[in-house]
Amino acid sequence: MNGNDALFPQLATLGSSLVLLFGIALLWRRSLGAYVRAFRWQSLALALTFALIGYFGHNHELYVVAVILAVLKVIIIPSYLTRLYERVGGRREAQPYVNIATSLIIAGLLVSLSYAITRPLVAVSKLPTRNGIPLAVGLILIGVFVIISRRKALSQIVGFLVLENGIALLAALGTYGIPLIVELGVFLDVLMGFLVMQILVYQIKDTFESIDVEQLSKLRH
Amino acid sequence: MKFLLLLLPPFVAALGAYMVRPYRATVGWFNALLSLVSLGAALVFAGHAARGGEAPVFGPGELLRADGLSALLMVCVAAASTLTLFLSPGVGTETNYTQAQFRRYQVLINLFIFSMLLAVSANNVAIMWVALEATTIFSALLITLARSKSSVEASWKYVLIGSVGIALAFAGTVLGYFDFVALAGRAENALNWPVLLQNAPAMHPEVMKLAFVFLLVGYGTKAGIAPMHTWKPDAYGEAPPALAALMSSALFAVAMYAILRWKVVADAAVKDHYADNLLLALGLLSLAIAAFSVAQSRNYKRMLAYSSVEHTGLICFGLGLGAAGVFAALLHLVNHTAAKSLMFFLAGDIERRYGSPAIKQARGLLKVAPWTGGLFAAGLLALVGLPPFGMFISEFALFRAGFAQHHPWVRGLMAAALLLLLVAFVSFITHLNRMLYGEPPAEVAAGETAGWRLAPMLLGLLALAMLGLTLPAPLETLLQQIVRIVSR
Amino acid sequence: MIGYLLEIGQALLALLLAPGLVGFIRMVKARLQGRRGAPPWQPYYDLRKLFGKEAVVSGNASWLFRFSPYLIFAATVVVTMLVPLVAAPLPFDAAGDLLTVVYLMLLGTFFLALAGLDPGTAFGGMGASREMTVAAIAEPTIALAIFGLAVGAGSTNLGRIVAQTLSHPGAVINPGHLLGFTALFIVTLAETGRLPVDNPATHLELTMIHEAMTLEYSGRYLALIEWAAGLKLLVFFSLLANLFLPWGVATTLTPGGLAIAVIALIAKLALLGLAVALIETRIAKLRLFRVPELLGVSFVLALLSVTSSFLLR
Repeated sequence: MNGNDALFPQLATLGSSLVLLFGIALLWRRSLGAYVRAFRWQSLALALTFALIGYFGHNHELYVVAVILAVLKVIIIPSYLTRLYERVGGRREAQPYVNIATSLIIAGLLVSLSYAITRPLVAVSKLPTRNGIPLAVGLILIGVFVIISRRKALSQIVGFLVLENGIALLAALGTYGIPLIVELGVFLDVLMGFLVMQILVYQIKDTFESIDVEQLSKLRH
Repeated sequence: MKFLLLLLPPFVAALGAYMVRPYRATVGWFNALLSLVSLGAALVFAGHAARGGEAPVFGPGELLRADGLSALLMVCVAAASTLTLFLSPGVGTETNYTQAQFRRYQVLINLFIFSMLLAVSANNVAIMWVALEATTIFSALLITLARSKSSVEASWKYVLIGSVGIALAFAGTVLGYFDFVALAGRAENALNWPVLLQNAPAMHPEVMKLAFVFLLVGYGTKAGIAPMHTWKPDAYGEAPPALAALMSSALFAVAMYAILRWKVVADAAVKDHYADNLLLALGLLSLAIAAFSVAQSRNYKRMLAYSSVEHTGLICFGLGLGAAGVFAALLHLVNHTAAKSLMFFLAGDIERRYGSPAIKQARGLLKVAPWTGGLFAAGLLALVGLPPFGMFISEFALFRAGFAQHHPWVRGLMAAALLLLLVAFVSFITHLNRMLYGEPPAEVAAGETAGWRLAPMLLGLLALAMLGLTLPAPLETLLQQIVRIVSR
Repeated sequence: MIGYLLEIGQALLALLLAPGLVGFIRMVKARLQGRRGAPPWQPYYDLRKLFGKEAVVSGNASWLFRFSPYLIFAATVVVTMLVPLVAAPLPFDAAGDLLTVVYLMLLGTFFLALAGLDPGTAFGGMGASREMTVAAIAEPTIALAIFGLAVGAGSTNLGRIVAQTLSHPGAVINPGHLLGFTALFIVTLAETGRLPVDNPATHLELTMIHEAMTLEYSGRYLALIEWAAGLKLLVFFSLLANLFLPWGVATTLTPGGLAIAVIALIAKLALLGLAVALIETRIAKLRLFRVPELLGVSFVLALLSVTSSFLLR
């Protein structure tokens, strides 16, 4: 089954690259709708990668995880997000703190950085999916960067969700997924965290009349 | 069975508060009494561990386990929770919340307490993580109980920074599991702490180093270690006093517990003092930032938050100094839990009296409310580390452990720490003087109105004093047990 | 000996095909837009016409203005001899590899920009500055995109890269490969002045980049520059085709193999031309300040392709 042996790592790396690319596409776009769309496609690619790893890695729990991931992050959360930004307004991320061209270059540098820091991980792992690990860590770093560099509260939420996707990808590539019970707990937490953030954005909109986090600067010494 | 007695009461309390409509004050009293059950169970666990008994386990796959370290933290969290519930709005504190707000408060704070207790009794590090994430969620919703621009801003920053931190901690957990899988293949109970510890010496040092960095940054965000502490002043300043008290004492302790659990695993895997050095560096950074921020403080609630950061720094220091340091750090944790919780309640009282959290406004405290002022002063002196309070003993033990180290640069670090503590000390005393003495503003009513609520706070202060004068034997045995678990 | 003859033959082939390629793309665009359009050999007629016309030079222009078209043309012709159009490896491979190719193309761009500035007209200066904005990000990306492949082949020699890909066909779906291809494609659109970066058919001040720099040229100078632009397009297409999908490139210098290679080349050029024409018809031109963003995306993709090839050897 030599062909199959070579196929699995390639497909896994391809899937992870797609997930990362959608994350980078996020940095390129301006409108909040595009952010949500990019996140949606990214989560779909992630779910497919999970299913792929489940198939080749003979771990059937991952199918369940893939389905839950798809339902949660491709359907439920993006629809909530869409409803949120339609109600709260502000369709464009007007001026992020870091402009788009620079953001893209920084993203490239972050991925290079993640390659450097994950060298011991790739060296240690014996799994065929190990080549995608730097991409997952790169996505994590890009998620943090999106949170720091965006101005609208909604963009920060999407950045957080991208960060979570990166960590899920890392779990899939590095360990073929964590035990199912824990995975369920994680999903629950992500959903609840997202709901709380949503509630807070509504509260921000109510009290501040805008979701520009630049306004959230009253608290000083 | 004992685990159920520990974990069920806050859950039942939250459920009850949710179901009883319309909200009645008795619900608050009932919940406060329920928390005594948890406290009792925690004390039983602690006694069992102090006697050197085998750690009890419970649940499928050994889900819950109570060794010495867990037991100590259970007691801390349960005690702080009991104090908080007795002094809650609607129970011990007069607040003008609406019925809905009271209910929301009771539900959320009990769920918050439940998740904290779950975090310290979980055997599985991933369940511990899930519980800590839950605490972020519940506390974030509570911060905005009284809707206002500053509280919404504080809650948003807290949720965002906290969630990112927790996510990074999860990445670290995954990396730890990854190393285990790379070594021994997948296993159902691989994420149980004793199993991790057992396999730790065989794990790859570079991977565990990377994992520990993620975990320290992640859980350190929850604990408020600099430079991830920026949410602390905002959140503690804007939260209702009860929540601030619980967050600064119990939640902080739980986050440090998580760091300590992983540190033990990392130390067993990485044979040099990598984790120790990281903790020492971050501890010094926290101390430095806290000391100078206190000097610049203009708001006494934020000042208390910076004091939290200072103590975070000290505890990190202790954890990085070997066995004696861990002993001192854990003792410091216990003392800090006692001191901080009552300080935030007092600060809440003062704010209610003066109508503003600014230090400039809160003058003449001793004239306006002598008992409150006196307790506040005593508590602040305790926090600063003056004898006869417990903090003095633990800080002394910490510095003794530090100076006993062989490396000269550790001694240099300790000297720098002492200097920073001095800076903080001077700033605190200055602020305190400004608050206690002087002429109170005209519109503030004079006369003590706190009533019976002062009794638990006085009790807490006396406990602190007792801890300072003697170290009770059970506590000492328990701490030594823990040190034995933690430093192999 | 045969090899050197082949090199010259390759350059002649490129010179022959280039105007045809430009004409082909124009015709496909016209058909897609519902027009009949000029036949694909219209550019040949245009070149013949231009060579016969008198070259009018502005009084403000210096020697640079007259010198640049020759330099640009020469540089591009040299590049055609270094790029594996029909066969790999070639004798001139020792003289030129990836970096040489990139530098030669940059030389052409640089002198074109200077020539745009030289007569002192407003349009020329504007075109030159816009071109430099694009080139600043596009040029490193070309190098990086092909460098990703070079790392896999262990050498920046283009012929060697082609040989490496021919012997490891499974590497085509490598993420590094695909990323490099996408990056190079975007850069091709930028460097050859195609939509969405630059409109090759416009002379509006708002939208022109390449056209602005060549506005002052006429007669044989213009002919040389237009031909060089066509050659550049051909070179980029061949790089895209032969580096990433090298089947058809002759590895032995037999007449049969060469014939197949020529046919394969024409087929790939036609395919890429079709793709570009489709894209040009569908996409609107990007506003100028958004072009660096697009090029930033391609830069990041190229960087990713290099890092993934480099660290996953």
